[in-house]
Amino acid sequence: MVHPTPRPVYLNLFQIRLPVGGVVSILHRVSGTLLVLALPFALWMFARSLESAQRFAAVQELVRAVPARWVLCIVLLGLGHHLLAGIRHLLLDLHVGMSRGGARLGGWLVLMLDGVVAVALGVSWL
Amino acid sequence: MAINVRRAGSAHRGLSEWLLQRLSALYLGGFVLFAAGRLLWAPIVTYEAWRDWVLSLPMRLALALFFFGLLLHSWVGIRSVFMDYLKPMWLRFAAQGVTGLGLLTLGIWAMVILFGGRP
Repeated sequence: MVHPTPRPVYLNLFQIRLPVGGVVSILHRVSGTLLVLALPFALWMFARSLESAQRFAAVQELVRAVPARWVLCIVLLGLGHHLLAGIRHLLLDLHVGMSRGGARLGGWLVLMLDGVVAVALGVSWL
Repeated sequence: MAINVRRAGSAHRGLSEWLLQRLSALYLGGFVLFAAGRLLWAPIVTYEAWRDWVLSLPMRLALALFFFGLLLHSWVGIRSVFMDYLKPMWLRFAAQGVTGLGLLTLGIWAMVILFGGRP
């Protein structure tokens, strides 16, 4: 059988305007990957913090110093988004917010709460 | 002639990963919220308080489960990212191999931290 259009079809992702659910979903992926990349460093700091009072203080100092402070802020923002979007996905599995309107509302809610987390982090930590 | 569809391998592929990802998510999310709540409620600033909290037996066990769940969750998540974006088979297998070894190493390290008994 001959297909009317040549296959496989390659979509140009830059020409597609993602709906809000798509934005939340891709950010879920990006933040998850970021969190995995942060894992070795987090575990290293966790190990150091438990070794002695001096090393605990050194870790405290490290996370307060400027480059690490920003990185930590981004990682925590990623964690916040991953958690919020994850909760949305679990609710979708339970068919909560599955309608088009509900899914949009949930997506915007996640993005709004991301903003709240960002502001809270910015005020308390930056 | 009867064909055993399941033996072909595709019918159930991914179902256990799908379930694992959600079950681990529940524990990870619950633990993160618990730990964040505990630390925000009563911040821990001294080494002694930190060590006593983290290395108490219930916390050690909860953290061991957490790291175990984290590695499973990371593995399933990263694996699906690789399956979507890394098309050449050799590249995907290489990346998955490196990731798997890395995650296993982190898991063993976490167990050493929690149960190694050094501090």
